[in-house]
Amino acid sequence: MSLHHPRRGRLVLAIGAIGASAVVLAGCAGGGGGNATGGNSSAPLIVGTTDKITSIDPAGSYDNGSFAVMNQVYPFLLNSKYGTADVTPDIATSAEFTSPTEYTVKLKSGLKFANGHDLTSSDVKFSFDRVIKINDPNGPASLLGNLASIATPDATTVVFTLKNPNDQVWPQILSSPAAPIVDEQVFSADKVTPDDDIVKGDAFAGQYKITSYKVNELINYVPNTDYKGELGAADNKGITVKYYADASNLKLDVGNGDIDVAYRSLSATDVADLSKNSKVQVVSGPGGEIRYIVFNFNTMPFGAKTANADPAKALAVRQAMADLVDRDKIASDVYKNTYTPLYSYVPKGLTGANEALKGLYGDGKGGPDADKAKKTLADAGITTPVELNLQYNGDHYGPSSGDEYAAVKSQLEAGGLFKVNLAQTEWVQYSKDRTADTYPMYQLGWFPDYSDADNYLSPFFSKDNFLVNHYDNADVQSLISKQATETDASARADEIGQIQDLVAKDLSTLPLLQGTQVAIVGKDVKGTTLDGSFKFRYAPLHK
Amino acid sequence: MTTAVDTADIAAKPLTAQRGGLWRFILIRLLLIIPTVFILVTVVFFLMRLTGDPITAALGGRLPPDQLKERIHEAGYDRPLIVQYLDYLGGVFRGDFGTTLTDHRPVSTILLQYGAATLELAFYALIVAFIIGIPLGLIAAYKRDRWQDAILRIGAILGYATPIFFVAILLKLVFAVNLGWLPVAGRASTRTELAMTTLQNPTGIYLIDAFRLGDPDAVGDVLWHAVLPGLALGILTAGIFLRLVRTNVIGTLGAQYVTSARSRGVGEYRLVTKHAYRPALIPIVTLMGLQIAALLAGAVLTETSFEWKGLGFMLADYLKARDFVAVQGIVIMIAVVVAVVNFIVDVIAVLIDPRVRY
Repeated sequence: MSLHHPRRGRLVLAIGAIGASAVVLAGCAGGGGGNATGGNSSAPLIVGTTDKITSIDPAGSYDNGSFAVMNQVYPFLLNSKYGTADVTPDIATSAEFTSPTEYTVKLKSGLKFANGHDLTSSDVKFSFDRVIKINDPNGPASLLGNLASIATPDATTVVFTLKNPNDQVWPQILSSPAAPIVDEQVFSADKVTPDDDIVKGDAFAGQYKITSYKVNELINYVPNTDYKGELGAADNKGITVKYYADASNLKLDVGNGDIDVAYRSLSATDVADLSKNSKVQVVSGPGGEIRYIVFNFNTMPFGAKTANADPAKALAVRQAMADLVDRDKIASDVYKNTYTPLYSYVPKGLTGANEALKGLYGDGKGGPDADKAKKTLADAGITTPVELNLQYNGDHYGPSSGDEYAAVKSQLEAGGLFKVNLAQTEWVQYSKDRTADTYPMYQLGWFPDYSDADNYLSPFFSKDNFLVNHYDNADVQSLISKQATETDASARADEIGQIQDLVAKDLSTLPLLQGTQVAIVGKDVKGTTLDGSFKFRYAPLHK
Repeated sequence: MTTAVDTADIAAKPLTAQRGGLWRFILIRLLLIIPTVFILVTVVFFLMRLTGDPITAALGGRLPPDQLKERIHEAGYDRPLIVQYLDYLGGVFRGDFGTTLTDHRPVSTILLQYGAATLELAFYALIVAFIIGIPLGLIAAYKRDRWQDAILRIGAILGYATPIFFVAILLKLVFAVNLGWLPVAGRASTRTELAMTTLQNPTGIYLIDAFRLGDPDAVGDVLWHAVLPGLALGILTAGIFLRLVRTNVIGTLGAQYVTSARSRGVGEYRLVTKHAYRPALIPIVTLMGLQIAALLAGAVLTETSFEWKGLGFMLADYLKARDFVAVQGIVIMIAVVVAVVNFIVDVIAVLIDPRVRY
């Protein structure tokens, strides 16, 4: 036995030595760790986010995290310049309707990808065709529903033939997640291309190229000198993006100066805390996000498929709820004014937006009115309290959803008119349940695909919309189709207003809040641009 | 698998016979990994399928029924379950665990990329367990039934009874948020991670990669980031080690050879540190094998708390997304690691203790 003791002794000694050296080294590097994170002007700026990337192949994803990467590394035919939501040619010299169903784009000459491949009309056709062909469930193929075919008469001309004429949204679609231009020599025509293959193929022709890529961990961008688009060259030497799983870690790192920028998604409380931190500044801009309650017209109280179905009573329930919610209070108490009240379906800032619900419900000035709600229910012959089963999700729309819906419940129950059963479901199950008529009324949020009022109307109120809440108004549907092809801008804005007025009377959904974009940046960081395009560009950032 | 036999029998056997027996034991123990892994793969596969096919789990509700059906067909999930099982089994033995449904990545790549991070974390946790558990176990035995012993025993119980996520939050709150001494999360600072991307064929074990960078700051940075996650995960095992060392040292302190040494005037301190503690360490080696399973299970919570992007972190992520192809691969990998580590530990136990035989 004694023969083995020295071996064990050595083993224990070795382990002890490793541990001790680890502690000593760590101790010595207490400052070292800090030094390693310290910034300097020649080093890349570090951006932190809690976004998640599904895929950097445009055919395989349709989410904020993936699109944020695409916006930096892929070119678009049309794009919005800094500070505006309006789209203008990016790598194109012109883009216009050459007939009601033909939209012709002329590319700049001499365009190249970072790998040296030429970027021609063939790449453009390939980029759109593959999105439709692959039709990935996580992809944006649905945005190209109006595209019939693409012709490429020469290397710099692309002709999009559309199914419906005069599609006023088409230019916006060309700057959307469905429209990044990719290299046909690197990307697969019929399958989602793995991220590593894209990075290895250096298939980038946007403002940046990626030099190192660890999905949802760390991405390093350097400016792409081959980019010839209208957005211009980057104002920095490079950007590193660090991905966080936990917003509180993101908050601590930006607050300590370990990263230069935090963009999406800090809670309202975190933003309020950071606004008092002398090391950082809070930059905000118009937000396209909206938050609302969806009513299922079949299963809500008195809904079409309930035992006591009565459309008039169901409408009265929705109206009374609209009378009772206090958006201002939710915005200030829960979101510390990082959201603002939303009184219509198209958020403020977009052409055609109005405040259709403000005058119709509550005190007529945006505040709640319990007496009016009581009268609405009494006039409809409804016995109170009405039981409401309200569902929300706690993991998809930010950490404050629980507080938001606790506030909604409290406001609805305040006058004793409603008894609210609040329940929460995790996102994946929630997504399935909400379209399976499981929830009579439920929370949803919306981030726009492109900055146009249509994006807040067609997906919600057209026939067979994504809400699947059985709302069906022929007048609304007709107006939605009309505005989509209306070439007169003023007439189109009027039609968009009419749609909001009609839906406000029906209350297919109950709009609550409109988000603002918020970035927390170091005191020495300049160039943060948060505009109506809702695209966060890294290129203008600098120290 | 191991049983103790009379040491007199072993002593009576010729040395060559003993060595032959040892190799036979190792071979049998090695071969036993195959049915163990086979059973694990089978159980995991069929348990996962109790909830339906992976395509429906991941994409159901987001696709029209006809498209969903088409994708299920394309992936072969409409074939008889036994055919799918044999297909999967064949893939596993070729190292092909399929491709994730949510982010289109080969599961084998995920296992390699993130497995290294988890093993590194388990290594740090074991170091913490050794550094804390063994010396404190010796002190507890030395101070048996005195107040120091009582405090250490209570500490040990708290160590392994407190949920890991709670320890993690507490450590973060005190040392990272309030005192600001240690990083709040991650495996290294951004700039160190960036520097590592310049390495040819990085191992994924940051400590090794940091050494390869040749930058002491990077090594320190990696270790600095490892302190809190290592502590959070290691405290559990440290508590178990502490109690085990204490019990074994107390047992050996009562052994005849220790009593003889005491009667020869050997001091109590020397008795504990020289005579009693070495034999008391043997069960620790065996326990390490069992603790690897506990450490890997604990890694899910530790990694999630500290954003330590390893297999545990990814497992939680893929579970949330209902990506059962990824979950299946990760669970199988963890099970295989536990099986292999237990084999290694059994062999080490046999090598260092002649009383342990097969």
